Parts: sequence; C-alpha cells; structure tokens
Amino acid sequence: MFKKVLIANRGEIAVRILRACREMNIKTVSVFSEVDRTSLHVRLADEAYLIGPAPSRESYLCIDKLMDVAKRTGCDALHPGYGFLAENPALPRACVDSGITFIGPPAEAMEAMGSKTAGKQLARRADVPTVPGTSDPIENPEEARSLASSMGYPVLLKAIAGGGGKGMRVVATETEFAAAWRDAASEALNAFGDARVFVEKYLISPRHVEIQIFSDAHGRVVSLGERECSVQRRHQKVVEEAPSPVVTPDLRRKMGDAAVRIARAGGYVNAGTVEFLVDASLNYYFLEVNTRLQVEHPVTEQVTGLDLVKLQIAIAAGHRLPFAWETITPRGHAMEVRLYAEDPDNNFFPSPGKIIARNAPTGPGIRLDEGVYEGWTVPMEYDPLLSKLIAWGNSREETIARLRRALDEYTITGIRSNVGLFRRILTEPEFLRGEIHTKWLDELLARPRPMDSQLREGTEDAAMIAAAVWQASQTGHTADSAAASEQKTSSWKLAGRREQLDHMP
Amino acid sequence: MKFEVQLQGTAGKKQRLVELERVGEGYKVRLDGKLVNADAMQIAPNTISILLEGQSFEIYVSPAPDGTLKLQSGPHEFIAEVVDPRAWRGRRHGAVEAEGRQPVNAPMPGKVIRLLVKAGDDVEAGQGLVVVEAMKMQNEIRSPKKGKVERLLAKEGQTVNAGEILGWVE
Repeated sequence: MFKKVLIANRGEIAVRILRACREMNIKTVSVFSEVDRTSLHVRLADEAYLIGPAPSRESYLCIDKLMDVAKRTGCDALHPGYGFLAENPALPRACVDSGITFIGPPAEAMEAMGSKTAGKQLARRADVPTVPGTSDPIENPEEARSLASSMGYPVLLKAIAGGGGKGMRVVATETEFAAAWRDAASEALNAFGDARVFVEKYLISPRHVEIQIFSDAHGRVVSLGERECSVQRRHQKVVEEAPSPVVTPDLRRKMGDAAVRIARAGGYVNAGTVEFLVDASLNYYFLEVNTRLQVEHPVTEQVTGLDLVKLQIAIAAGHRLPFAWETITPRGHAMEVRLYAEDPDNNFFPSPGKIIARNAPTGPGIRLDEGVYEGWTVPMEYDPLLSKLIAWGNSREETIARLRRALDEYTITGIRSNVGLFRRILTEPEFLRGEIHTKWLDELLARPRPMDSQLREGTEDAAMIAAAVWQASQTGHTADSAAASEQKTSSWKLAGRREQLDHMP
Repeated sequence: MKFEVQLQGTAGKKQRLVELERVGEGYKVRLDGKLVNADAMQIAPNTISILLEGQSFEIYVSPAPDGTLKLQSGPHEFIAEVVDPRAWRGRRHGAVEAEGRQPVNAPMPGKVIRLLVKAGDDVEAGQGLVVVEAMKMQNEIRSPKKGKVERLLAKEGQTVNAGEILGWVE
C-alpha cells in the first residue's frame, strides 16, 4: 500500500480523500493557492505546500508544480479528485514519468473514452445504444422520412448550421414530416444560407441515469448500480439519488452490462461513470463517460456500503475486486443535494464571503461532506460548492423526510446559499412521485414561486426580539447601563462619604 | 434598553417597540409596552434562542453593510432595522436618492473582466454595464436606472469587493 498521497485538489473533495487516506494509515500532502491557506484541506493534511496564486491556471492546474511537491515530499501516489486536472491525460502521463502512481485511469483510457465523440464510437463498438440519428446531413427528404420512421417518432430535424432554435423542428408523427422538413430547410436557408438538415431521435423528457463502474488492473469490471441525476439547473446536477425511481432490476442489469462492455472496450481501470439518457419507455442511450470519481459518489456509497475513494486507492495499488461484487444490488435509498454559495433569489449569483455562523445537521441517516467551517471566508476564485448533504433510509420516502429534516437544521449565515431551493424541490409533488427529467427543474424555476411555507405564529415577534437582543449585545449597551448604574450609586456614596469627611473633626 | 424594530418579511412590514431588561443571563421582554412571556438568550455569537409563550425559535443574525440586520429562522428570512431611540442620529432616512445620480455597486467580490459601456453612453434601466467574474461565473452588473453613464471607476482586470462602486449613472 502507498505511504504518502498527494491530493491535487481543494474543497470538499480534497477533505474527502484526506479522510480516506487517514483511515488507511496513508500520510497526506495537500497543495494550496494563496487564498486557500486557511482552507480545511490544508488544516487537516499531514503536510501542505503553497503552489501559487489564486487563479487555478497558476496553481491547481500546474502539473509541474504538483510533480515538484510530490517528488520533494516523497509521495508514491497522487489523487486528482474531480474537476481541475482529473480528466487531463497529461497528469497521469506526468505521474508515470515521475514514478508516481496515478489514482485513476491510465492516460490512454482517458483519451479513448473521455471525449463525447470518442465515447460514442466506443459505445457503438461495444454494441451500446446511442441516441439514434445522423451527424451527416441528408439530402433526400424521402430518405430522411424512412430513416425517421425506422428510429420512431418523435424526431428532431436540425439544421447543420443551426443555432438558437432556428432551423429546428420537432416532428411528432409521420404525417407532419413533409411540412416540417420544408419549414426547417427554408428557415435554415434564410437564417444561415445553408438548407442542409439532419435527423435525430427526439427524446421526450429524458432522465439522466448513470452507472458507477469499477475496474481493477486484472481485468475484472463491475457495475455498482445507477444514480439518477435528472434534477439539473442549466445542465448542472443539483440532486442525485440511488436507486433511480424508475430503474427496474432488469434494466439495472442491462445498463450495468452495457457500461461494463464500454469499460472493457476502452481498457478502463479504476472508478468511472457511464452516463445514459433514459426515455419515457425506459430505452437507454449512451451519453458520455466520466473518467474520474463523481461529485455524487456518496449516494452509491450509502446504498452499497462501499467506500469508493478507498476502493480507488486499493485498485491503484494493484488490489483485485472481489468476485462477489459482480452481483451487487442497492440496499435502501440515498439522496444528495449540492449546497452552493449562490443566491437563488438573485438569479443564482455566486455569493462568496465570510461564513458568520453555521449549523450543520446531524442525526440518523445524515452525512455532510464539506470543506467549509464557521469563520472561514469562501474564496471567489473557485467553484461555489460548499457542502454535499446526503441522506439515506429504507425507502425513498424516508430518505426525503430525513433530507427535509436535515435541511431545516442546516443554517449558514454571512453568505447566501441555495438551501431554500432544495426545501422547495423536496415538497414538489412531481418530485415526490419521481416524475423528473433533465428539464424539470428549469421548468419549475420558470413557474411562479409559491408563497413561503406558513409563518408560525410568533415568528415575527421572536425575530424582532432577536434583533433587539443582538443590537444590545453589539453596541455595548449592557456595559453602558452597568456603568451608568454603577456611577449613579457611587455618586450617592461619594457624596455621602464626602459629607462624612466634612463632618470629621 | 428600548429599541424600535422595523421588520420586513414576505408577509409585509411590521414595527414594534422592544424593551429589554437584563435578568441573569437572559432578558425580560416588553413588546409595545406589554410584558410578554419571553425568554431570550444569545447562545452563540449571532445565534439567539427565543422561547416565546413556550414556542422555541432559533434566530440567526447577520449584519449587512448598510446597517440593517438579516434574520434567519428556519426557512424564513427577514430584514430588520433597529433604531435605538436614544441615538436618533444613527437613523437612516430611506431612499432619498431614488432619483438622480445612482451608484453602480458590485453585488459580490470578483474580477472585472469587461466593460460594456463607456462614460457618456446613454443606458436603459437594466442594461448591462460591467461584467464581473466570480467563482467561475460571469455576471453582468446592470444599470439601476435609465440615464447617462457619468463615470466608470472599474477597470478591466481589476479586483473588486462586495459593495464597491463601479461607476455612476445620472
């Protein structure tokens, strides 16, 4: 096993990796930029080294600086976390050159699977369905029509030169096809001077379902089941859960097998995620591969009982995956919400700043993965993810109830957070029924916001009393009045004493 | 100690006179002159526990740069303005500057990456003036009113603090 690991990241994921290392008796080395001196990943590490100024291009993204620290401190492995350099093949290459083990896939597998086009080719080779359609334009409308009926309606006609919704038509039935084709082509010609159109299967309200895979260096690949991440704001996941409310054991096995085939085809090693879109009829289509640990990995940990970061380290050290994991099934339900330093009332503007007070939820079925603490100033230079709040329980209902309870306990002041957004999501009937898709949250946020939940009687009075108490504690009022009363009594006393002195012989 | 407290929440605006009298670690409370059964304790800096007629409330207080207080109680948020009647000088007098020359403030710390207008330009209310990048997101800072850009203090590449004045629109 490794003796010392360099953690090439910051924030909650650096803390997460530090904790795994500590449990495995591995020493940890953190790196930090000038604005991260007081960050939690620096405080908790065995060693920590400054690697440059705040912009990540000059610090967290500098491979030579990371290699320099790793060699200088005698690290035998490096964990990239997610984001920053985690999917950059130059990092595993640099590690190989320096004789340091990269905790993640080899550079070649990253290249073979990482990009959308490369991943799609790999999926076709592995016989995994991708969203049907052509990336080449079709000249003949009759040919296009027969293609459309073979992939099934609805289909999407897209101008080759298109953009901003122009030259785009959704065709619901075959009878509409001819007219839609004419419209799309002429609109494209007018707007872009190019009438060429291609055809793609139109997925109605697709879900985002992804499969967590693990491969060891000895040829065994396993699927650890799915996560549903359909609740997204502008393509950014905000709520993730496992298992998916719609995935049946049969579908789980099929999607798991598909993901394993892709991993094998790409020569993949370590943790990876194969993302799919799932349509209303539960057909699944390959989307892309993430060649790293995912932000939402804790939900899989809670339903499998496995520690994915420790598993990554063990696999990088050459350990084998147990045979029994080929049939692993999720137990109970887990759900994660991503708490960001952003203001939901102000168009989700980032809200960096000093955390004045914070109350972290605890209790049954609650886990908080984070890299923040009270009194710390959230820097403006990086991703505004503060904490990941994870709940788990026997059922989806119990999990949601726990998450709601935990969100009620969660308070952070000094900065704005999106905690209110989750209070709303977790009471939406559609969400509770599991009727979600990748556009669901954007549609929800476009609807007028319902009134805030009922104010308990006395809340406003309590708030006003609190404001006064706070003011009293600030302005030195207590000191003032104490001093005033002291002076009052003492002036009487003084006068009396003076009088007595006067009467002294 | 007497405080006039104005509270702004989703249910509207309210105002009360809050009188506090120190009793041990806590306070005896009068609202608009009437004694209420309340027990107020500051349990941590900026965290106040109130037992009001037996109902337990926890209120988090964060002072804003403009002198108001932001109060959080579970999912509810309020803005409070506290006036100590003995210190009338401290009182702010509302939005006197609603018309006329208006400052353009940075809503958060960040880096100015682009100026969209220059001094002398005519602008509409809500028109983007400056692009500020914070936390990997680019945000347009908009004009508070229709008018003319009088001055732009912000420069491209400059780092700004929350509340810092980026320019003026008249």
